Amino acid sequence: MSTEAALDLPLRGQAAAIAAGEVDAAELLEAALSRIEQRNPAINAIVETFPDRSREMLAAAPEGPLRGVPVVIKDEWPLPWRAQRFGAAEMQVATAPGESGPYRTLRDAGAVIVGVGNMHELGSGSTGAISYYGPACNPWDTERCPGGSSSGPAAAVSARLVAGAVGADGIGSIRYPAAYCGLTGLKPTFGRSAMAGHHMAAVSTTIVSGPLCADAADCRLLASALFDEELAAGDARGLRIGIVRDTVTDDVAPDVRDACEAAITALREETDGELVEVDLAELEAAALATVLIANTEGLSGLHPSKLNALNPELSPIGRGLLKYRMLLPAAASVKAHAVRTLMRRRLAAALEKVDVIAWPTVPAVAPPLAAPLVELPSGTLSADQANVRGAALANLTGAPAISVPVGLSDGLPIGLQLQGSWGRDELLLDAAEALERASSRRWVDALPPLAETASETTGT
Amino acid sequence: LHDHGQMLAVGLRAQMEAANGADGFISAGLASFGIEADEVELAVMGAAHAMFWPPILALLELDTGAVAPERDPDLSQAPLAR
Repeated sequence: MSTEAALDLPLRGQAAAIAAGEVDAAELLEAALSRIEQRNPAINAIVETFPDRSREMLAAAPEGPLRGVPVVIKDEWPLPWRAQRFGAAEMQVATAPGESGPYRTLRDAGAVIVGVGNMHELGSGSTGAISYYGPACNPWDTERCPGGSSSGPAAAVSARLVAGAVGADGIGSIRYPAAYCGLTGLKPTFGRSAMAGHHMAAVSTTIVSGPLCADAADCRLLASALFDEELAAGDARGLRIGIVRDTVTDDVAPDVRDACEAAITALREETDGELVEVDLAELEAAALATVLIANTEGLSGLHPSKLNALNPELSPIGRGLLKYRMLLPAAASVKAHAVRTLMRRRLAAALEKVDVIAWPTVPAVAPPLAAPLVELPSGTLSADQANVRGAALANLTGAPAISVPVGLSDGLPIGLQLQGSWGRDELLLDAAEALERASSRRWVDALPPLAETASETTGT
Repeated sequence: LHDHGQMLAVGLRAQMEAANGADGFISAGLASFGIEADEVELAVMGAAHAMFWPPILALLELDTGAVAPERDPDLSQAPLAR
């Protein structure tokens, strides 16, 4: 097998080929760095590489399950040689290089970090359209949003610069880019994946690290490293699939709704399962509550004099939103926590009747970078406003969720979200694999034009 | 995005037009904290206010009096009480 061909293997295939001696890990690393040089300029997915550090990681890599496999990590985690920038010209907290939890788990699994992934500025958007480094682009259409805030990790995997990347999800930030870029992205149960070293780790009750990969088996492998616990494969037979009648399923672009409904039907058939309608009232309040909680948890680091001296290289949106946070009423924040309690109980009650709850990850395919608006039955909305509706519940409650590719509309990927009970991340991966079988892997194996063209050019 | 025109393109135009009534709230709020803001930042805040304030008011009206508080919830687990 050529090294170039090995780069197109899934994460588990690369790991197996290295372990079997079929691929030389050092050659694979150099090939990955070359591919980044070749493909990254078109998508701006990776904002920094450090070949010597990567070679040092490989030289010291233990015999772990990811030994020698190149991966990307989001600009949200410190590395021993680089502090995170959070996609911004300035952060409101002090940062420094260091061994973050995700770094340690990747290193201990034998993985080799080859680059830092771009992200939406300050993690505060679902599109990836704003970044200190300039936006990352969607490999399916470079004029389109890759999704955020884990924009670079998703674009990097979608373009097959690497087979796996680590993102973070505070309000959908792994699942949005997974849906937009045609990937599988897991938002783990709160607290289950490595978080040490994150600048919000001490205060955030919504953010988790998680994997972005082509398919569920690769997510299982990468998540096992991030969890420091092997996530065993199981059987989703007899899956009870919850469906909800609400804005998250009704105010959705027709192509997205049709693809998700077809996927849910296929999942039921593949698992010999059943569909059960469940009631999750107050989902819109849940979305707002999540935004309020996430935006107020970082307020201790903000004060007026700091806000009066913001770096002018922060985007106007970033500056304005930071200042607006100070005006959020405390009464609303208190109410948001009551809504969290309410929704945790409602979700728990629903998940006693079903194993997963399914609805579209995002209500429309990736919008243009130049104008991130989506057309929905209710009218034109900003993508951020529309996307948060379906993603927030998992962050508010702490429960796990996964986005799985289930179709294309005008050449752009569509994602279906499955949400499960606390600690049942493995079942979500099992269900995602059942969905892959149901479609004969059509959507997880689909490549964006950028990767296809490049593969033809290089003969891979 | 570093200019006003680009900001408008990212979907805030409609909200900005609806935000005129927010001027007093935002300017008074910022003044009370001694926070300065330029015209573009004020426009962003106006757009955010137009987007968030109506649902915030609706949230404040939501009756959660019957929801027994979940003290120090363990978000890695299902709630103990239903």
